[in-house]
Amino acid sequence: MTIGIGGAGSKIAAKLDKNAVLINVSEVEMNKVQGGGRRILARVTSEHGQFKGSMKSRQIGNDAYLAMSRELLEMIRGNSVFFSTGGGTGNGIVSGIMTDLSKMDNVPIAEKTFFGVILPYAKLETNEFVINTTEFLTGPLTEAIDSGNTGNIVLFSNKRKFEEEIGEDDYNTMLVQSLREFLSIPEKNEKNKLLDGHIDQEDFSLFLSKSYFNHFTFLDYDPAKPFEEQLQANYNDLLLPPESPIEAMFLVEVPKGGDATAFYKIINYFDSIKVSPVYSVIENTDLQKIRVTVALLYSRKPMELVDDFNRISEDHVHAKVQKSVEQYVRLNTLKVNLEDEAKKVARSRGDVDEDNILETLRRLGKL
Amino acid sequence: MAQVNDEELGKLFNEQVERLQEGQFLVLYWATLAEGAKINYNITNLFDDLKSARVTRTKQTVMGIAQALENLCFIDLREEKNRKNIYITRYGAKALETIIKQKRYTGKKSAFLEAQEK
Repeated sequence: MTIGIGGAGSKIAAKLDKNAVLINVSEVEMNKVQGGGRRILARVTSEHGQFKGSMKSRQIGNDAYLAMSRELLEMIRGNSVFFSTGGGTGNGIVSGIMTDLSKMDNVPIAEKTFFGVILPYAKLETNEFVINTTEFLTGPLTEAIDSGNTGNIVLFSNKRKFEEEIGEDDYNTMLVQSLREFLSIPEKNEKNKLLDGHIDQEDFSLFLSKSYFNHFTFLDYDPAKPFEEQLQANYNDLLLPPESPIEAMFLVEVPKGGDATAFYKIINYFDSIKVSPVYSVIENTDLQKIRVTVALLYSRKPMELVDDFNRISEDHVHAKVQKSVEQYVRLNTLKVNLEDEAKKVARSRGDVDEDNILETLRRLGKL
Repeated sequence: MAQVNDEELGKLFNEQVERLQEGQFLVLYWATLAEGAKINYNITNLFDDLKSARVTRTKQTVMGIAQALENLCFIDLREEKNRKNIYITRYGAKALETIIKQKRYTGKKSAFLEAQEK
């Protein structure tokens, strides 16, 4: 089952699966999504009445989650969840899900959830989206991955959408097509002539249940050229670029009469980076060239991304403060402890606070 | 079996500490800050921090740095859930104390710990 949470997540889920369950705080926004199956309106009320949207607030999304947490945690077991980190609904509800998942002892393989995350393009999207994303990446997402209780997490990026000025619906179609091609690996193994290795539905589900980021991509493979170069030149630009992989899966589709041994070079590449991939080689009579589908599992989102998000959101905050000051807003007097402030500055510069470190070691019973 | 007296053991320890490089000092330093703040600090966090501190860009080197410290009994690497968390040992604490007092290296900020503390 596919579950779409919030506006962006629902649009992707409905395109991917005509029976997708769509969840939103806003009825108006939910009605704008075409397709999909069951629709759940997450009700959040304040002292002023029912909210008609999340106002980009993670807190409102999180309150909505608290009202339906038991039902949602049951619903996501072994299924796929799509959401964006920018708005309030997807971010807030999934933050609640991930926080609860992190607290669980051990989620069985068959019950792990696959998460499709749509990240805003920090350079051109609103400040709230960037702040929401940073808080999500450094908080609930990191905790959930550290707990090992999620399945694969795919980080879709809106970068290409903004850079190439692609319409939202067209871009969503591109994301879904790319995802479908990756998800068709076990079906292709079942339907086509098998030449080497094998990836059945069970192997594929096991791969999807691993608690790592998944970067999948596709390329026409030329065995005469190094695989690494071809892979790097063909990273999926709908996703964030990957870090060094920890695990990998690949499917080689060979045209009729093509070289069925070309996959050894791919295995040798993965061996050189100490990764043992799951793989299969099939014959695809519709193709003219060798086609390779690769999925790389890597650990944690690159720290540089959070830094990038932080930098942009700080720029926005500075600009806002500057505007406030220029408009002669009366600022409250702050009581500043100079010693604490000096320590903060020293810490931010990375200076060793000798006393503090030795005191910590003593407190921990290590000295 | 060959016997080693306390004086020789002390010399060996000083020699081991003398050979520690900046990357290894930073592991001991960040592991202490993390444990002091009750935050789990794992190999992936270390990789991100060492990369951001421009000490290394490869995971293999990070593993080498951590492995050497574990072999010297200066840190423990514990498999917890699906992460390898880093804990400083009593010997590691002594080594860190020695380096800090010698003022051999300056600490660098850990982006991971900074984000956790916010």
